[in-house]
Amino acid sequence: MVFKAIAVGAIGLALGVVASGAMLADPPFGATTIGPWRVAAKAGSLEADPYTRAALSRSGEIPLALGEGLKLVAKIDSAGRPLDRRCAYRVGSRTPASRYWTLSLVDLDGYPVENAAGRYGFRSSEILRDGDGGFSIYVAAIAHSGNWLPIGHVDQFALALRLYDTPLAASAGAGGIEKASVPKIEREGCA
Amino acid sequence: MNLGARLGGAALFVAAVASAAALVHFAVVLLVPIVAAHDAYARLAELGPPGATLALPRGRPNEKRFPWSDPAIAASVCRFDLSAGPVRIKAPVGRAGFASVSFHTRRGAVFYALTDRAATHGQMEAVVVTPAQMRFLVAHDDEDNPTQDLRIVSPTVQGFVIMRAFSELPSLYPAAADQVQMMACATEPPQ
Repeated sequence: MVFKAIAVGAIGLALGVVASGAMLADPPFGATTIGPWRVAAKAGSLEADPYTRAALSRSGEIPLALGEGLKLVAKIDSAGRPLDRRCAYRVGSRTPASRYWTLSLVDLDGYPVENAAGRYGFRSSEILRDGDGGFSIYVAAIAHSGNWLPIGHVDQFALALRLYDTPLAASAGAGGIEKASVPKIEREGCA
Repeated sequence: MNLGARLGGAALFVAAVASAAALVHFAVVLLVPIVAAHDAYARLAELGPPGATLALPRGRPNEKRFPWSDPAIAASVCRFDLSAGPVRIKAPVGRAGFASVSFHTRRGAVFYALTDRAATHGQMEAVVVTPAQMRFLVAHDDEDNPTQDLRIVSPTVQGFVIMRAFSELPSLYPAAADQVQMMACATEPPQ
């Protein structure tokens, strides 16, 4: 009987801690999926759920306020495959309305990845555009003509799209972003 | 012991383990924000004292303190402590394409934000107060000469503000960094 009680306590403790670690690494609630992108519009707010709050405390991230902008993160391409450093991707060609946007490449903890070109992201105000105002950003480990965002020395990576001063902020929590308005992440080929 | 009793005992054991794991899990999730030793506030404390405007390190591969920092954004922070009185924030709007100030609790959650759209006379300005300080100020307001101050009640006595400025081009980043360094945050003189 005593042995069983101790076993229950020990296994319960281990399972509880493991489950907490896993869920705080990727909080289960409060995020919306739009194509390959995930957005947790209320993550930084006072109304965030306990999982999201705990994850924020652990990561040390200083979140954007809704009024400042939105952060969208993609760890998969538009076909749902995990982003792979051996592959090349085209990201484009539109973004939801905002005063400015940036697209940057980070590791899964949210830090830029070292690369020989020293390029970590693109701004909407510096990018080369097509004739019709659309854009293509090429995410690849080897150099690409046009807007090349190098993958750098990392196994797994994510793309972060930030929309500054966007009218979407008010509706983002309720899934107000249309799938057609976010950039696609198309895999072009793999080495 | 027959098979039914054995199965019953096993089911009871599994249920006890699951309950223990769930209890541990919820306790961990709720306690993490309270005990997290390395949350955003603690990381900011490593940069300098409260009441000082401190440059937030730029998002770079070798900078591992503030995840999800946009490399196109220059930012400065000021930790506040309202126990000595309300704190006035003044952030000048410069030539950056986009600038904002957000107000965070001790745990990092946003409780207010201003963008350059809300600037008056070229400044984003607000006074951060506790609920008690708010009641005191309102009780002593001059009805004939209403205050022009934007007063923001902070849910926590300690917290921090962060000013962000967007650099439209890489070459404009130093100007954005200079602009955010001009944020002032000072405890109001006693009345």
